[in-house]
Amino acid sequence: MSAAEKLGQIVESRLAGDPKKARGWLRAGWEAENVLFHIAPHKELAPADRYLQQLMMGTMLAPLRHPEGSAMVSIFVPCEMMQEVELVPYSAEAFSCYLSASFCEGACLERAEEEGISDTLCSYHRTFLGAAEAGLLRAPKCIVYTNVTCDANLLTFRKMAEFYQVPAFYLEVPMDVSEASVTYVERQMRELKAFLEKTTGKTISESALCERVARSKTSLETFRKVQQTKADRYVPTDLVTPFYSALTANLLLGTEEEQHYVEMALQDAQNAPAKRGKHIYWMHTIPFYSQAVKDRFLFTESAQIVGDELSQVCFSDFDPSNPYRAMAKRLVTNAMNGPSRRRIQKGIDNAADAKADGVIWFNHWGCKHTLGIAELGRQQFEAAGFPTLVIDGDGCDKSKEGEGQIATRIGAFLEMLDRKEATA
Amino acid sequence: MSETPHCVHYMCRYAPLELLTAMGAEPSYLSSMPESFGDSVALLGSNICGFGKSLLDRVLAGEVEELVLTNCCDTIRSVADVIEAKKEAGELPKLKFLYFLDLPRDDGDCAVDLYAGQLLALKEAYEAYSGNRFDVKKFAAAVQVSHTQQVKPQRPYLTLLGGKAGRELHMLAVRSMPLPVQNATCAAGRTFGEALPGEEVLQDEKALFAWYAGELLRQIPCMRMQDAQGRKRLFADPNLKGILYHTVRFCDFYSFEYADVKDHAAVPILKFETDYTMSASGQLATRFDAFAEEILTRYRDTPEIFADRFRKPKEEQPMQERPAGKYYAGIDSGSASTDVVILDADKNIVTYVIRPTGAGAGGSADKALQEALEKAGLTREDLAATVATGYGRAAIETGSRSITEITCHAKGARFLDPTVRCVIDIGGQDSKVIALDEKGNVENFVMNDKCAAGTGRFLDMMARTLEMNLDEMSGRGLTYGEDITISSTCTVFAESEVVSLIAQNKSTDDIVHGLDKSVASKTALLAARVHGRGPFMMTGGVAKNAGVVKALGEKLGEPLIVSDKAQICGALGAALYAMEA
Repeated sequence: MSAAEKLGQIVESRLAGDPKKARGWLRAGWEAENVLFHIAPHKELAPADRYLQQLMMGTMLAPLRHPEGSAMVSIFVPCEMMQEVELVPYSAEAFSCYLSASFCEGACLERAEEEGISDTLCSYHRTFLGAAEAGLLRAPKCIVYTNVTCDANLLTFRKMAEFYQVPAFYLEVPMDVSEASVTYVERQMRELKAFLEKTTGKTISESALCERVARSKTSLETFRKVQQTKADRYVPTDLVTPFYSALTANLLLGTEEEQHYVEMALQDAQNAPAKRGKHIYWMHTIPFYSQAVKDRFLFTESAQIVGDELSQVCFSDFDPSNPYRAMAKRLVTNAMNGPSRRRIQKGIDNAADAKADGVIWFNHWGCKHTLGIAELGRQQFEAAGFPTLVIDGDGCDKSKEGEGQIATRIGAFLEMLDRKEATA
Repeated sequence: MSETPHCVHYMCRYAPLELLTAMGAEPSYLSSMPESFGDSVALLGSNICGFGKSLLDRVLAGEVEELVLTNCCDTIRSVADVIEAKKEAGELPKLKFLYFLDLPRDDGDCAVDLYAGQLLALKEAYEAYSGNRFDVKKFAAAVQVSHTQQVKPQRPYLTLLGGKAGRELHMLAVRSMPLPVQNATCAAGRTFGEALPGEEVLQDEKALFAWYAGELLRQIPCMRMQDAQGRKRLFADPNLKGILYHTVRFCDFYSFEYADVKDHAAVPILKFETDYTMSASGQLATRFDAFAEEILTRYRDTPEIFADRFRKPKEEQPMQERPAGKYYAGIDSGSASTDVVILDADKNIVTYVIRPTGAGAGGSADKALQEALEKAGLTREDLAATVATGYGRAAIETGSRSITEITCHAKGARFLDPTVRCVIDIGGQDSKVIALDEKGNVENFVMNDKCAAGTGRFLDMMARTLEMNLDEMSGRGLTYGEDITISSTCTVFAESEVVSLIAQNKSTDDIVHGLDKSVASKTALLAARVHGRGPFMMTGGVAKNAGVVKALGEKLGEPLIVSDKAQICGALGAALYAMEA
């Protein structure tokens, strides 16, 4: 049994009777992991990705260390203003991903189901709800959420606001990608500023915010360069790095740390050897725990996951001199907003940047939008020249995984790509 | 210009029916529930709300010429994307008009302005398409019609709440219940029309659309709206006597409301789930009948509330003339076995029979009853009354009445042990948990939905994978070395997991123990849903499985009572009801 499995067993066994102790064990386990990331990082990872591990671990520890200094957010909420009032944002997807890696998502999922929550709700959200109800999470300072890009956001965060009785702010984003919609959201961004100032008693400086949003723009632009540079290179990678970069690209966008990460990643890409094996672009979340996926992509030269769409949902064509409108525009033009053709086209552009040999569309259980447009996505990716595999699974709940099916499908897909190259 | 009638299909309570009517259209709610799904499954996948699939199937079948959708949920967003792509590809020649309204989740002034703009754009698009003009008089008349439809029930009623329920489901509820049933689910719960527009509003198009958008958005909200507090009105009516709470598989909105109201509702509540087909109508009928029995029991002290019902409640239906016999029979027609119990006048079990159900429930019941009579040396004339229960009860002609297995299991269990407060019945096809009050009445019950996990069928499949029979399986796993957890809840995935555990050379006892725990976890969740408290009694075929009984006892924190008559509990309860008839 691994240390993580042991931790999961301890946390789960204490969760029902003594949630405070369970929380203590969870934090102790994560603190230990954090130390390990600093003193003995994974040798095969590129320097930027080692830094990314530390960055994410610190972000996840923040709500356990100082819940009153954290903000619970849905993943695509612009976080620059929270950073300005020194709140650390964390999302359901990120926290649940770490709970799953610590083998304690099962008890949280069971708790959510006991409460009556449908088992068809996205498992990141179910795990998060169960963790909160069971007492694994303490009340944040506030909650900020938006409808972009799933129904689960509305349900989860509304329930969390009632559960914790903390101030909550909802950002309504129209589907229509237009200047009128940007104006509609810009007004709400200004209201969010007032909300955060009132909630924390701190003032948001306009000039500091402009600077931060300008940094967001630079980070997004740099990350695109990273992806374009990596297209012809071999950068060894694990299964969590592409998803971590998705989390930081949203939660930490605007921070110096995120800027530092993308600059390091660009340097790593520039210094990396020439491309080896197949480049796979991944749509939606990655089942990092799956042995079948590990066998094919975990530090393998034969194939690597070179990008995850969730790390590239934002466009950088905004003007930082009006930070409220800039953040509003980023949210309205988020690739996940509006009709699915926008999301699919952004995926195609990202895959082209990374010179992907193939695309895997991961039908994460419970994500209705990803599931519902999977066939459309497959058709459009293939029309754009990217062989595409659609697989069903769950990025968080291990009990929903069909290992045998995933192994066969990914194996056959990679063999197909090999044959395609051989006969080209 | 002469107007031609247009049938515009819609699917959301926020759809602007009055606006469409004012342009010569006849709005039609897409409310039909299919028996199964068609090509939509290939386009949308299986793991998505059945309403979305049924909607797409109807469009693909060419049944819809004009369609107004709202972005009410992620499923409908996907359906709209697929329809639009098909339409652009020229694959939907019959679909002439498609419009997608961007419905805000908020009802503040800015959201109202936004929706008003959406409605105006729809008006322009529909005028251009149909050649009909918006007629403000027709609009005012349509609003007046909606206004007159907003009448609160003035007498006791039940309400169907939750996710979309088509007319078939509503009618099944209407036929089963002893009180009128109002459909307040999703789009059927439209409450627009509480207010009427003033003359000044009707004269000014901008003001009119702002008023209209505001009234639409400020109806009793659906769960998709940001502020759903207004839904409390649905639960606060003193005439409301019970709630049938429907959730649609893969629609997550309403499980949140159910989670909130299940512990606070002042009236009996039945939670059930469908995949938006009527394919499980047999199981639904059982649940509805059991709920109807619960309603009759709950309000037995106020029988006048049933007086206005078009038919008398079942308790008051005239009984057949009782023959002169001295024995009472109960027949439980289950999916796997048909059980018969015969009692004498002192409630002694004279004999009982358990035989496979086979192909026809009616024929099996006759044969089982005959076998029991022969075993006891009796004839049919010796029976004073017979009650049938179980899935096949409707097909059994023998007997004076039929009662659901929920009620019969409760009765039987309480007879076998008067201390029992919760009955856990795991049969071949389903599992159920029945919570009893201190008098032994059904207080609440829950059944598994359309899934084999946690049922006898699950164990049967796993036993086959392990190449053993169920009897052998029952004895294994009581002692184990490694505490294996079967993490997959899906029967198919669990089977793969067992196969890989066999490949890893894990001991059979350890695997069986893991499977027992899996069934126990699933069942304990059901028990938690009805707040089941001990003493617990386990009945049904799986009660013979010592491993599951032990694992479930550990999960619930106290040992289960298992009677040697566990398998005939339903038939026993039916025989006891025959005696009371």
